[in-house]
Amino acid sequence: MGRAGGEDHLTVPSATLLGQSVLSGVFIGALYGLLGLGLSLSWGMLRQVNLAHFALAFLAGYLTFQFSGRLDPFVTLAVVAPLFFALGMALHWFLGRFSVTLLNTLLVTFGLTSIIEAGIQWYWTADFHRMESAYAAVRWKVGPLFVSLPDLLTLGFALTLSLGMWGVLRFTDLGKAMRATTEDAPIAAAFGVNEKLLGYLISGLAAAVAAVAGLCLALNHTLAPVQIYAWMGVVFAAVMMGGVGSPVGPLLAGIVIGVSEALTMAVSNPTWAPLVSFSLLIAILLFRPARLS
Amino acid sequence: MYEVSNVTVNYGAAAAVSDVRLRIDPGELVVVVGPNGAGKSTLINAMAGIHAVASGHLSVDGSDITREPPHRFCDRGIAIVPEGRRLFGNLSVRENLELGSYRAEARRARADSLRRVCALFPMLTERMDAPAGALSGGQQQMVAIGRALMARPRFLLLDEPSLGLSPMIVQDMFRAIREINAEGVAVLLVEQNIAAALELARRGYVLDEGRVVAEGEPASLMSRPEIQKAYLGT
Amino acid sequence: MKILLAVGAAVLCAVPFAGLPAFYETFLYLLLSAIVLATSWNLLSGYSGYFSFGHGAFFGVGVYTTAALAGQLGWPFLWTLPLAALAAMVLGVALGAVVFRVRALRGELFALLTLAITFVLSTIALNAVDGGPGIMLNVDMPKIAPTASGVLYLLMLAAAALTLWTAWAMFHSRFGTGLFAIHDDEDVAEVMGVPTYRFKLAAFAISCALAGLAGGIHAVFVSYVTVAETFSIALAVNVVLMSALGGTRHWLGPAVGAVAITVLLYAFTSGGAAVAGRALSGLILIIVIVAMPEGILGQILKRFGTKKAPARPVIRDPVSANPRKESAEPLLVVRGAAKAFKGVQALAGVDLEVRRGEILGLVGPNGSGKSTLINVVSGHYAADGGSIRFEGGELVGTPAHRIARAGIARTYQIPRPFPQLTVLQNVALPPMFGQVAMDRARAEGEAWRWLAFTGLESKAHRLPSDLNLHERKFLELARALASRPKLLFLDEVLSGLTPAEMDGALRLIRAIREQGATIVFVEHVMRAVMELTDRVAVLTYGKAIAEGVPAEVMRNPDVVTAYLGAAHV
Repeated sequence: MGRAGGEDHLTVPSATLLGQSVLSGVFIGALYGLLGLGLSLSWGMLRQVNLAHFALAFLAGYLTFQFSGRLDPFVTLAVVAPLFFALGMALHWFLGRFSVTLLNTLLVTFGLTSIIEAGIQWYWTADFHRMESAYAAVRWKVGPLFVSLPDLLTLGFALTLSLGMWGVLRFTDLGKAMRATTEDAPIAAAFGVNEKLLGYLISGLAAAVAAVAGLCLALNHTLAPVQIYAWMGVVFAAVMMGGVGSPVGPLLAGIVIGVSEALTMAVSNPTWAPLVSFSLLIAILLFRPARLS
Repeated sequence: MYEVSNVTVNYGAAAAVSDVRLRIDPGELVVVVGPNGAGKSTLINAMAGIHAVASGHLSVDGSDITREPPHRFCDRGIAIVPEGRRLFGNLSVRENLELGSYRAEARRARADSLRRVCALFPMLTERMDAPAGALSGGQQQMVAIGRALMARPRFLLLDEPSLGLSPMIVQDMFRAIREINAEGVAVLLVEQNIAAALELARRGYVLDEGRVVAEGEPASLMSRPEIQKAYLGT
Repeated sequence: MKILLAVGAAVLCAVPFAGLPAFYETFLYLLLSAIVLATSWNLLSGYSGYFSFGHGAFFGVGVYTTAALAGQLGWPFLWTLPLAALAAMVLGVALGAVVFRVRALRGELFALLTLAITFVLSTIALNAVDGGPGIMLNVDMPKIAPTASGVLYLLMLAAAALTLWTAWAMFHSRFGTGLFAIHDDEDVAEVMGVPTYRFKLAAFAISCALAGLAGGIHAVFVSYVTVAETFSIALAVNVVLMSALGGTRHWLGPAVGAVAITVLLYAFTSGGAAVAGRALSGLILIIVIVAMPEGILGQILKRFGTKKAPARPVIRDPVSANPRKESAEPLLVVRGAAKAFKGVQALAGVDLEVRRGEILGLVGPNGSGKSTLINVVSGHYAADGGSIRFEGGELVGTPAHRIARAGIARTYQIPRPFPQLTVLQNVALPPMFGQVAMDRARAEGEAWRWLAFTGLESKAHRLPSDLNLHERKFLELARALASRPKLLFLDEVLSGLTPAEMDGALRLIRAIREQGATIVFVEHVMRAVMELTDRVAVLTYGKAIAEGVPAEVMRNPDVVTAYLGAAHV
């Protein structure tokens, strides 16, 4: 078939290019994992599929961008994160108050996404925005490869929060109570676990993590309202592959996806990249659905 | 003393438990028997705060706890071993036991409680880190009882613990229950295995179709025609 | 009614010839397109409950089929339309064939899978067909209207008529009832004889075909096709929104929602207001899900719709299809049936025989495996091992709906009626899908008989949630009887009933026996077992330990031990 542009043969990249691809795949995977952390927690533990998670992350990113002139992004985060914690609790209250079933939480949060996205577009327009910050300029050379500070910050946040959450769930009483409530809430309650309180805690936490993801988005990527939807698919893939409810799974799966996408892009036409993540997802759904929910 | 006064509990539209009165005195071992569908599970779940009470009162040492939120019942010294065990299958045996002592007062005595549970059920010591769901029925029942004991209860509620267990294990389990009771924990035992249950207890209630139809000493209950008819139809 | 429809149709067809400004044709075209997409989506997702987020994918397949064939290869436009529908349908069937076999893939997982498909297809379309810059279509239009847009309008009108007719026909057919049953409780539907896999696949195929058709027409409408515009998520969500708004349980609901949303969005056409439009549609979605789960049409029908009670047939006594004849010939032979769940051996090799025409009592302590045995025989669960022969045919490994067709029925211990079907519809389902697969009208007639038999006639048009426990148990009974089973399993029908209600139930069961059905009667209420049964089998720890005449069996020392327990302590 004749078509304009687009080479369709495989190129053999150099070792440096390969290495840089893998590295960039890891970093983008870390961001997938960071975005997936909150999603995984609320889906697995609260039985709420929160599509609005992405819109919230972008909102945080935009706010960071907005104040980047006057405030250091981390200061903005210190203000935004608690705010988002409260927003998360409010959303949880709303979904509980109207006894929204699992499937319907998908629809309701999609409606919420539309509202937030429209709000973002109204205030910041549909144009692309790139945040200028001192951090972006900091780069290091590791052998033949380049690593930037924002990349490392993203990876750092992702590792800290994921592993931290894993640690809490594994080793603390609170974490064990959370895992017990997910399995059998009435019996957990019979032993003193306050299900409602835990629910608010988890939903607030998930939203606060979205705020952190937003900061990383603003540091590393251009912001545009339409981008909100672009991340949905691949992050869902990471969450499902890594295991719904797992804090570390999405990070690992995200990195796998990120690296395979990056390699695909280095080796062949970049537009094939989405096929990788979604084919992996479809394969998982078909052959190991018991892992989920 | 745990007192149940004129309690009615609904299951859906119908009353599963109607106007039931019973009490557990401190340190007592009381048994509740009755055919299937009699409302025994509903009653015990209501007493543990798992199921809401439609009318009547539950009171512990004189304070009315009927309207307390579910997670507060254990603070009153109530712990349950639910029907079918209902362990947290994905958590390890150790974690299940630790969760039993989630409430503050029990948490402080956790190490001591753990030692006691292991002394009572020695076979658990090798299985502490196994996922609870992987254990056999009998072992799971031990964990379920252990979990309840970790809460340092004054009133231990057991719902059909012998369900699905082989007679040998049931023996061991009832021995353990006797020991627990001997240490001063009051026990309410709902059982299908009537003969064994009535041998354990000094007082029993017979529940049928949601109501208490007989109450008293085991020996007299055992020979009552109601029990014969209800269970065997002869 | 028919005259109104004819007039309306004539008016709609006349639009392109009325010389209106192009704006009206375009608006109406988009309206019709929305109706086609929402209604076709609803055929699977609303009727059966399998919410798909991938409708955009099949629409896109249709678009790209026409774009490639007509735009790139120069084929005549009209010929590409059936091919667009076919391509979408084939894809849907291929996907469904795999996905619907996986039992765990329901609810939100199916939704997310179909979402993923959209992305995959768009990637493939981009790389393999489009190449990036999109496809330009310059086609010759058939001269059936003065303007090109008029032609497209008429084509979409035809598509809409086809779609609405399909939705209406499915809604009133056996097929539709089966889909609604799947929506409410797929496992029970399967056990009652609904071929769930086939039905889901068929609904999916029709839904995709119609979306593909709309896509084919749309390719020419936009005349310049790009992947980004075609496979957008907006379409996937809009069809959900329209259907939810209008009401997913009714064939006309999505169309109502489509009209409402299209009008609303058109009011916000200009730049800045488009943003407000999206925010508003988001808000509407939230409000609808939370406050109006049945949708606009559903709400209206609930308030003002009065179901005309259909003419009730004269109720004769149910004629027995199986004249009562007792024989020693076994109807059901169970040998070594085994079933384990997560390490618990519920059935540990059960040997049992049920003789034709008898009432066999099945008793045993809690947890002995009685309900599991029923579940395994009826196909609700698959046995791990052993053999179950019914009238000579092996049941193990047979799908549940075929077991129902063979003439086996069961009630559920905790009644499981289809919650959104009326009592009448519940009872009419097994005759439709059972041994004698009746059409809807005859099945409802049959249902009336059994409602009369169980005393539920006055509640025929109510929902099961309006019934009390006693009535729900009788509903279970009526539903099981309605298929005129040869072998009937009653799972603790008496538990929870008052003594008075119990007497009524016993009378009913005796009457059923007179009809000639063979009954296996699981019960704890001993006096019922002693009074009713011809023979009794006792189950403990997943094995049958005694079988025989009630009086003897209940005096067997093993049985006494099993029930009252040995005093081992």
